[in-house]
Amino acid sequence: MRYIEVKNLAFQYEEEPVLENISFEVHAGEFVMLTGENGAAKTTLLRNVLGLLKPSKGSVWLSPTNHIGEKLVVGYVSQQVASFNAGFPSTVLELVQSGRYQRGKWFKRLDGEDKKHVRRSLESVGMWEMRHKKIGELSGGQKQRISIARVFATDPDLLVLDEPTTGMDVHSQEEFYKLLQHNCIEHNKGILMVTHDHEQIRHYANKHIELVRKEGSPWRCFSMDSCKELSKHPS
Amino acid sequence: MEMFFHGFMQRAFQASFLISLIAPMLGLFLILRRQSLMADTLSHISLAGVALGLLIGVNPTWTNILVVMVIAFVLEYLRIVYRTYSEVSIAIIMSAGLALALVLMSLNDGGATLSINQFLFGSIVTISKQQVWILLGLTVIIGLLYFIFRKPMYVLTFDEETAFTAGLPIKMMSILFNVLTGVTIAVIMPIIGALLVSAVIVLPAAISLRLSKSFNGVILFGIIIALIGTSSGLITSYELGTPPGASITLILIIIFAFTILMKYFMRHIKLEKLFSRSDGS
Repeated sequence: MRYIEVKNLAFQYEEEPVLENISFEVHAGEFVMLTGENGAAKTTLLRNVLGLLKPSKGSVWLSPTNHIGEKLVVGYVSQQVASFNAGFPSTVLELVQSGRYQRGKWFKRLDGEDKKHVRRSLESVGMWEMRHKKIGELSGGQKQRISIARVFATDPDLLVLDEPTTGMDVHSQEEFYKLLQHNCIEHNKGILMVTHDHEQIRHYANKHIELVRKEGSPWRCFSMDSCKELSKHPS
Repeated sequence: MEMFFHGFMQRAFQASFLISLIAPMLGLFLILRRQSLMADTLSHISLAGVALGLLIGVNPTWTNILVVMVIAFVLEYLRIVYRTYSEVSIAIIMSAGLALALVLMSLNDGGATLSINQFLFGSIVTISKQQVWILLGLTVIIGLLYFIFRKPMYVLTFDEETAFTAGLPIKMMSILFNVLTGVTIAVIMPIIGALLVSAVIVLPAAISLRLSKSFNGVILFGIIIALIGTSSGLITSYELGTPPGASITLILIIIFAFTILMKYFMRHIKLEKLFSRSDGS
């Protein structure tokens, strides 16, 4: 089932085009990696997909429902989310619990099931022991981990991740990619992830979109090189 | 004790109790959304609302609320237009408010100078029953809205993009928050004074941010601090004949300085204990 459909997308800041001719799809159960050199407008593309920016041409379609007909829940880890205000008055547990609000709990109390999800998410990134710490007291890598734990706690149908492994050691990165792959295959999640680490991720992802600089353009404008299928069932 | 038998002091304490409940809720969100100066901007705009009311002969409280509500929308629009340097919107509106207030006052042939002074510096003698009732209504509304929307507001304050992708109507929430802040300022300005109303809203939350790790803890500590600050400020104002807004602000600043010193000494004591333990082992 299609979760994202991008058709002939173009985007420009003021008069300057930065993205052109972008078309791709992300389906349920698909792990798509998005790569490109520094400044290749990868984050801009993600923000267009999520509706945070409006494309100047073309269209972006996000499925309103998931593969079982319920409202599609989107989880987003932005590049800056881990550089949150150090003075924000929240414990790690409070922040990760806030991921569950999206699951119909904006106006309801969290129940035992929600708490189980929160615990599992914090354990999956090795932050359960730190749950009573103030988020401002954490290191950069730990902040990144709890941002990921928050999204895992939401248990979204579609994960949109912008360089989520910045600040993680290689072992933790491997574990993280395995977890994403597991979610994709076993729980039918759709994943769109911006990364610089494509050599490592290609073992886990099953589609690769690369943004390359458009030849002949006077602007620093990027387009899609290709959308390569890596494997149907990644190993 | 004699002060508690005066009707105006009873109303002053009732009003200060209600202000203490509202201020930390609004103040915390203002600080975390980096809009601490918005309260100041709205209080300057309030002055223009008051001057307009006095000029056209309408109850200034109502013109004030109306003007502030309109500006709350404009502020949100400017915040989006100047997203990367949102303080510009505050500078524009603040100066526009003060300029408009001065022009409207000058058109009023000087007859409103006394009333404007009351709005600038605040007065506890003039708090009416009607004002206390309006404040009570506002406290109930803000309390209820906080209780219902505290989770969406937590996420919105943490990160607007996260809130947007979670499907929250962030624009509407921001405007509603601005309007509520504006109305609150318009209502409490005659008591505290336009020049210091933002301090009374922001300071309790700013102090309690240093005292609690959790979101709800900050609100709770903020209410306690605001209660101590406003009630002791009112007593000081009555005993010494000083303006209430200034007295409350000074007491809150003393509490602020005290908590900073306390935190500093507590950290030192903790570190010393830690070092002496590691020396001993």
